[in-house]
Amino acid sequence: MHFVIAFTLAIALMAADHYGQLMGSFRSLLLTTISPIERLATLPKQFYQLTTTDFTNIDALKLENQQLKTELLLVKAKQQQFSNLQLEVSRLESLLGTAGKINTQSLQIATVTYYSNNPLSQYLTLNKGQLKNVVEQQTVIDSKGIMGQIISTAPTYSRVLLITDPDHQIPIRIQRTGQRGILSGTGHETTQLEFIPKNSLVEVGDLLESSGLGGVFPAGYPVAVITQIENKNGNPYLDITATPVADLFQSHKVLILSQATPYLNFDEDLTESSDVK
Amino acid sequence: MSNKLFSLKTSQARWVILISYIIALALDTIALFGHSSPIIPPLTLFFLLYWCAHFLDRTHLFSAFILGLLADTLYQTTLGAHALLFSIITFLMIRHRLRFKGYPIWQQAFFISLYMMCYQLLNYLFFNPVLSSNDVVQYWTMPALSILLWPILAYSLGKVTNTANHD
Repeated sequence: MHFVIAFTLAIALMAADHYGQLMGSFRSLLLTTISPIERLATLPKQFYQLTTTDFTNIDALKLENQQLKTELLLVKAKQQQFSNLQLEVSRLESLLGTAGKINTQSLQIATVTYYSNNPLSQYLTLNKGQLKNVVEQQTVIDSKGIMGQIISTAPTYSRVLLITDPDHQIPIRIQRTGQRGILSGTGHETTQLEFIPKNSLVEVGDLLESSGLGGVFPAGYPVAVITQIENKNGNPYLDITATPVADLFQSHKVLILSQATPYLNFDEDLTESSDVK
Repeated sequence: MSNKLFSLKTSQARWVILISYIIALALDTIALFGHSSPIIPPLTLFFLLYWCAHFLDRTHLFSAFILGLLADTLYQTTLGAHALLFSIITFLMIRHRLRFKGYPIWQQAFFISLYMMCYQLLNYLFFNPVLSSNDVVQYWTMPALSILLWPILAYSLGKVTNTANHD
């Protein structure tokens, strides 16, 4: 009898989670429950790193600090230019009377706390959650390109489904030709570009960027580079493999994008990000 | 001796069981984070099967369901999928546990490898993981590794349970 109840409940849960997307808050509760266990699991690694890392001398730290301050200054200068350009584009757009607007996103810097890299699931865990207004479907990028999207949140942390996860798909366009397609994860640090017909002008080395279709991912961010094209007999589409441009498993600091506010908003103190690789 | 072996109550070792599940989940998390290998068996299920065979007064299906849900959260799979897998494997163990408990340890290890093979088969049907040629070998070798792990686990948990009972 117990087995029949467990069996029925499990099937009902699977159906609700798969078709209805009704289980967001329940998953969030489970994520919060498992959070202390995940922290417990990272203790041995942290202890190992603490005991094996060489202590950096103070001169090297001063030098690094100086370099980071210089970089920050340059970035701020570029930011000002960017703001001016944005205003200029808005003026020109209003002159032309076009409806298109540049999408501006607010940003939050987050730290990667753990990651999973196995054929079943590829995800990152970030140290920002509901308390920092992180919500599902926000895009996560690093300095090179799109990494994935937020799929579940807990009060103090959130999970990012990587673009290489077998369940993940992202609408893209080939930057050189503008042709659209769907990029799916394979579970093995690569992605597969689907629905590109055999007569397409596609080459190894082509950059794939987000197309913005569907409204989940913002348009124009680099996603992957084509590394292999196979033309198999009997298949109307090309078999295309692409490698993500983002450092999915090396990045320590990442950015969470949201399209809510028109100005850049660095939520985390920049002094915290001195260990950016 | 045999009476004592078959009359152990779950309530006598409730905290030991709970702590062992937390440790098992932490070990599964360690195995998952980073570049994990499919050869490592799910230790939560291992612990669950051990307690299921050891304490006969409960079905342990509630524990199986809850641990399955936590596994779903950990592996980021559809909610209820691992809960169903864990419940099925636990149910198979319940049907067989009276005989299982009387077997010598090597024979228990052999049956555990069969349960793990069932788990891998169901796992493959449910999630259809994309495995590289190297991963395929490791994935299907996992039940064999379970044969080696079971005696270690049974011995360690047996020691812990005996200590808890004496206290």
